[in-house]
Amino acid sequence: MNDSSIAVNSPTAFATSLSRVPGVAWILGLLVLTFALASRDFLSGANLLNIGLQSVILLMLALPMTLIIMTEGVDISMGALLTLSSVVLAWVLAHDGSLMLALAASIITGLVFGLMNGMLVALVKMPPFVVTLGTMGVAQGLALLATDGQSIVVSNDTLQAVYAGSLAGIPQTLLIGAVGYAVTHWLLYHTRFGTYVFALGGNPDALKLAGIRANVYLIAVYAFGGVMTGLAALILTARMSSGHPTAAIGMEFDAIAAVVVGGTSFEHGNGWLFGTLLGVLAVGALRNGLNLLTVPSSVQVSCIGLLVIVALVIDSFKGKK
Amino acid sequence: MNTTIPLLELRGISKQFPGVKALDKVSFAVYSGEVHMLVGENGAGKSSLMKVLCGAYSADEGEFFFNGEKVAIKSPADARKFGIAVIFQEFSLVPYLSIAQNIFLGREFPARFPGMVDHARMHREAKKILDLLGLDIPTKTLVHDLGVAQQQMVEIAKALSQNARILVMDEPTAALSDRETERLFVMIRQLQSEGVAIVYISHRMAEVFSMGDRITVLRDGKKVASLLPGEATPDELVHLMVGRSVDRSYARNFCQTEGELILEVKNLTSANGVKGVSLTVRSGEIVGLSGLVGAGRTEVARAIFGADKVTSGEVWLHAKAHRGGPDKAVAAGIALVPESRKAEGLALIRSICDNLMLPGLPLAFPSRLYKAADARQIASALIDRLRIATPSSQRPVRLLSGGNQQKVVIGKWLGSNSRLFIVDEPTRGIDVGAKAEIFALIDQLVSQGAGVLMISSELSEIVQVCDRSYVMRDGRIAGHLSREQLSEENILKLSVHHE
Repeated sequence: MNDSSIAVNSPTAFATSLSRVPGVAWILGLLVLTFALASRDFLSGANLLNIGLQSVILLMLALPMTLIIMTEGVDISMGALLTLSSVVLAWVLAHDGSLMLALAASIITGLVFGLMNGMLVALVKMPPFVVTLGTMGVAQGLALLATDGQSIVVSNDTLQAVYAGSLAGIPQTLLIGAVGYAVTHWLLYHTRFGTYVFALGGNPDALKLAGIRANVYLIAVYAFGGVMTGLAALILTARMSSGHPTAAIGMEFDAIAAVVVGGTSFEHGNGWLFGTLLGVLAVGALRNGLNLLTVPSSVQVSCIGLLVIVALVIDSFKGKK
Repeated sequence: MNTTIPLLELRGISKQFPGVKALDKVSFAVYSGEVHMLVGENGAGKSSLMKVLCGAYSADEGEFFFNGEKVAIKSPADARKFGIAVIFQEFSLVPYLSIAQNIFLGREFPARFPGMVDHARMHREAKKILDLLGLDIPTKTLVHDLGVAQQQMVEIAKALSQNARILVMDEPTAALSDRETERLFVMIRQLQSEGVAIVYISHRMAEVFSMGDRITVLRDGKKVASLLPGEATPDELVHLMVGRSVDRSYARNFCQTEGELILEVKNLTSANGVKGVSLTVRSGEIVGLSGLVGAGRTEVARAIFGADKVTSGEVWLHAKAHRGGPDKAVAAGIALVPESRKAEGLALIRSICDNLMLPGLPLAFPSRLYKAADARQIASALIDRLRIATPSSQRPVRLLSGGNQQKVVIGKWLGSNSRLFIVDEPTRGIDVGAKAEIFALIDQLVSQGAGVLMISSELSEIVQVCDRSYVMRDGRIAGHLSREQLSEENILKLSVHHE
C-alpha cells in the first residue's frame, strides 16, 4: 500500500480530502511552527521520532474510532479497554506466559469488549455513548480488580525488542502504526466492509434495502475497535514495562479529538482516514510541544479541547464558502 | 413470451399496522412487457404494496406467484432473487459514497482478494448505465454533491443496473425536469420492449394515461379497480381514486382589481445563484414562479426569506425596505412553505399542536408563558379550519398523510399574521383530493387580503391557479405571463432556450 493507491483507487475520498486539507493541515503547520519557535529541541530528529513513537498508540485507537464515528457512533470505552488489555497482557507475561499468548489474551480481551459494544448498539439498539460508558466502567473495574490497584511489572526481552527494536533502520513501533494505518485504509476504501461503513452512517436504510445485514457490519466496526485496542496494549505495556490499572485513562478523549480535528463528521458517514492521521499528529505534536515547554498535563487536556474547537470553527467557516 | 400467465402475481395480500389496515386482501398482477400504473390517494396503500413487493415489508397474509409458481418474498434479498428492483421516492442513497458505489451498493464486484471491491470495473459499468440515461457526470462524484434531480437519476440508474425483470417506480418523475422525464420515458419504452414488467406509481394523470398499459386503483388499502387506459377518462379515474367527484380545475375567482403592493423585489442577487431577479406580489393575487427544476425558483424564495445570503438588490415589503434573516422575515409577515416539508417545514416527531403553534407563539402568548390548554384550543380551531384529518391535536405530525402534513405547514403561519405566503411546490407528493383542498386553502388566504408567491413544477397547476406568473431560467426572470397569456405552452417556451 503506497500513497499513490490513495489517489488512484479512491479518488472520491481524495477529492473530498483536497477540499478539507486546510482545516487540519493548517492546525498541524501552525503547531509545528509555534513549538519550533518556542523550543529549539522541538524540530530535532530525536524529538520528531519521539512524537511519532508517542503517537502510534493514539493512532491505533483513532483509526477504528474514525470508522465508529462514521457510523454515527462513538466508543468512549477505548481508554479503559486499553488499560485492561495492557493489564491482561502484563499478567500473562508475569505468570510465565509467552509473549504470543499474552498478545492473544490482550487482543481477545479487546475483541470481547468490542463485540459486546457492537451487539448492544446494533441488536439492543442502545445509544453508543451509553453502551460504551457502561463498558468503560466494567473494563476499568476489572483492571483495578486484577491488579489490586498496583502495577504489574514485566521484564520480557522480546516485549522490549518489539518496542525499542528496529527493522531496516525503522523503529518497529512506527512499523506497527504504518501497518495499522494501511490495513484500516484498505478496509475502508477497498473492501465491501468499508463501503458499508460509509452507508451505516450515511443511510442505513439503503443498506437494508440492498439486502445487506447492516447489523453484522455495525458489530464488526466495534469489534475492529476492540482488536486494535488489544494490539495497542502491546505497545503501551512495552513502553511502560508494566501493566498499570490507570495507564490509559482518558485516552479515548485524545482519540476522538484526533478524529474530529481530522475532519470526520459525526453525521452522514462523512469520514476521512488520512485526516485522522494528521489529527493524531496534531494531538501528538501538541502534547509533545507542551511537554517540552513543561506545561502540566492538566493544562494539556484543556489545550486539546481548544484544538478540537478551533478545528471545528475552521471547518464550519470553510463549509459556508 | 406467455402473456396469459402473469410474471408476478400477488393474491389476497393483507398488511396490518397498529390501528391501520394498510392493505386489505389486495390482488395484483403484472405481465411481462407491460407498464402497470398504480394510482390512489396518499394512504391508499400504494407504498405499502410496493414495500411488500420488494420485500421491505412482509405481508401478514397472501400468496405470491412468480411465472405461475408459488413463491415466498420475505426479504429484500428474496425480491432481488426474482429480479424485482425498486426506484424509491425517498432516496436510498449514501451521501459520502460515489455514484458508482451507490449504484452497486450491496452488489459490489469482487476483486482478487475476498471482500475486496473491483473499483475499476464498478466505475466502467456505472459509466455505461449513466450513458444510457444520458447523464454526463463523472461516476466518482459523491452523491452528496449532486442536486435532487441528479440524485433521482442515480436512483434510477441503480435500479436499471440490476437487470430487473420487474421494475417498481415510485413517482420517478416527481423531482425531474421535462427533459429528464422524457429521457426516462424512452428508457421505460426500451425496457418494456425487452420484456421487463414495470409497476409505476404516479400522481400525474398525463403520465398515467400516456405511459400505462393497465391501471390499478387503490383506495383505503383495497383494490377498487383494474382497468385499461381506454376504459376511463382522467376524471373518472380521479373519481375512482377519491370515491367522490373532485373538480380538477381548482376553480377560483381570479383577482379582478389591483390590490395594494405587498412585495417588491428589485434586482435581487444571491450567493446561491439568483441573478438580478425583480418581481412584485400584490394583495389578493396568487403569483406563479415557474420554470424547470434548477432554474433558481427555490433560491429566490430563500433569498426573499433571508435564508440565503443576498449579495445585492432590494426587497421591499409594504413599501418599506426589508433586510435580514428569517427571524426578520417572519416578524415582517412573510411565511415560507418550503419545498421539503419533512426536512424544513415540520418537526416530525412533535404534535400537530406544537407544529401549528410554533411561528405564532409570541402573538398567542404575549406574556411569554406557554399555556398548554390555550395552545390546544387554538390548535383545535386551526385543525377545524384547515380540515386536517386527525383524531387529536396531540398526534405526532409524522403519522399524518402528506396532504394533511402540508396543511399543517401552511396552517402554522395562520397564527402569525403573515401577509405574504411563499409556497414552494405545495402539492408535491400529494394526492388529487388533497391538492384541491390545499389550493382552496391558498385561495382562502388571498381572498382575505394576503399575497401568494407560488412555485410549482407542474405547469398545469400554475395555469389553473395563478393570476399571473413569472418564468425563470438560469437564475433569471425569463419572462412574465398575464392571466390571458398563461398557458403551459407559453411557460415552457420561456423555460427552455427557445427563441
